[in-house]
Amino acid sequence: MRDEALRKALRETAVPVPAEAERRGLQVVEAAYAERPAPRGRRREGRRPALPRLVLAFSIATLLTALLLSPAGAAVRDWVGEVVGSSAPKPEPGLSEIPGGGRLLVQSAVGPWVVQPDGSRRRIGDYDEASWSPRGLFVAAAKGRALSALEPDGTPHWSVTADARVRQPRWSPSGFRIAYRSGRSLRVVAGDGTGDRLVNPDTAPVAPAWSPFGTPEVAYVNAEGQLRIADSEMSASRSGAPPDMAGAVAGRDVRQIEWGAGGRLILEVSPGGLHLQGMRLNKLEGRSEFRRRTALAIPAGATVVDAALAPRHPLAAAVVTHWRSAGTRSAVVVYGPKKRDPRRLLSVPGSLGEVAWSPDGKRLLVAWPGTNEWLFLPVGRGEGRAVAGVSNAFAPGGRKSSFPRVEGWCCGR
Amino acid sequence: MREAQEGSGAAMARLYSLHWRRAYRAAYLVVHDATAAEDIAQDGFLAAVGALDRFDRRRPFGPWLHRIVVNRALDWARREALRRKVAREQSVFEPLPPPHEVSGEMVAALKELPAEQRAVVVLRHLLEYTPGEIAEMLELPRGTVNSRLRRGLDRLRETAREELDAEVGQ
Repeated sequence: MRDEALRKALRETAVPVPAEAERRGLQVVEAAYAERPAPRGRRREGRRPALPRLVLAFSIATLLTALLLSPAGAAVRDWVGEVVGSSAPKPEPGLSEIPGGGRLLVQSAVGPWVVQPDGSRRRIGDYDEASWSPRGLFVAAAKGRALSALEPDGTPHWSVTADARVRQPRWSPSGFRIAYRSGRSLRVVAGDGTGDRLVNPDTAPVAPAWSPFGTPEVAYVNAEGQLRIADSEMSASRSGAPPDMAGAVAGRDVRQIEWGAGGRLILEVSPGGLHLQGMRLNKLEGRSEFRRRTALAIPAGATVVDAALAPRHPLAAAVVTHWRSAGTRSAVVVYGPKKRDPRRLLSVPGSLGEVAWSPDGKRLLVAWPGTNEWLFLPVGRGEGRAVAGVSNAFAPGGRKSSFPRVEGWCCGR
Repeated sequence: MREAQEGSGAAMARLYSLHWRRAYRAAYLVVHDATAAEDIAQDGFLAAVGALDRFDRRRPFGPWLHRIVVNRALDWARREALRRKVAREQSVFEPLPPPHEVSGEMVAALKELPAEQRAVVVLRHLLEYTPGEIAEMLELPRGTVNSRLRRGLDRLRETAREELDAEVGQ
């Protein structure tokens, strides 16, 4: 057969172009086009009032808290018992939907993005970091010395300026407060941007964690490496900060703390290990108390990269990495409510990144920067999914960029 | 293009309509995966949107878009080959259902080619670029393009000879 005949056959090869794909592509392109800096400056549309949404957020959060305090776990124990594991699923080339639903908050080199359940994404500004409000109605975002509250479409509601660079803003479950670090200090501001106050002037570089009991208590790690609890509404002492209510020695080099949704545990994450600090609510005095602290077993010689508590179940997930002469290997492990021995969900060559739970606690999102993928792993039965091309998806114009970080996987809308 | 650069959303939509199908087909014929092709074509357009203000209007839009699309498709195909090697190491997850595939002898024959050969064949015979243009797009020496093209065509011819003979009446 001659080349010309071959060419003709190639040209006439029928490759149907799905209309849905064309439509989706157009939506994404139009959204990107609308977001690009306009040639002659565009203004955002008018702001909507914050108060009704904050009230709604508070009502829903209160209801959710009540639900979360109820016992849950038997079904989850079953899932863990049936956990499969351990190689990565086949990658899909792009995020056409978020498995299990919900929305992602993703921090890229150029700012945070909100990813909708259908996979469409929108950059919400050029902030340095961001985190969800409890029901995903708002985003707390930091840039330089400014802390801002935004709608998920990027519309700003308010902004406060601190004395030093703002980091690690965390919205309380009630929706009424935001804790954040500014320089070395820990501060709290009301959800409407008022009443900014100092909590502790000298803290470790660890994001604060709010009590899920609905009390104004916030956990943090002080400069001496102690895990402390402060009542953000107590009167200030002479130092200008409210006195701490309770304290306990945290593990060495703690990088992250998380107060579990049931309120009974604070997870401490350090490269060398995972610890669960037992907590109890003293109902008479309306404050939390420390109880027993236990270590979670990690594989010998492994380093903890990231860990997270499940939102609705007594489960913890962690990413651990081994550096060996034969090559780096990483694993995702899940800890059940009673047996502290981890179950391995996944083991892959190379390094894995952060781990995030889905809002329903049935899936994990695990970052795999080396292959430019996100892995969506079911904790129980079901198939894992992998999404490729992650860094390009969060770079203007789809250019190659550094791998983004998942800051939160929030409730649907 | 000029109107799109000046902020006309309708012009951008027209540009999309003009070029989407060819971009998608080119991506599909390299990666043989409908979802991947969609994503790759979409990425190509996103890159176009990102660089719209810098785009030289005197140059045609199509080749620039195809360059991005085919390069990304090649990256995807290479990475997929690597993934298959990794996946063999341990396989516990149930396999995902096979992706929807387009039937047709020519498509099947193309799929048998290595990704690098597929890309040059698609660029040459579907998108009708010259070997010199392909060399520039893929940042390859022209001789490499020619040899990949030759090997690709030879293998295509072997794989699809009978069917193609029938299709083109030879």
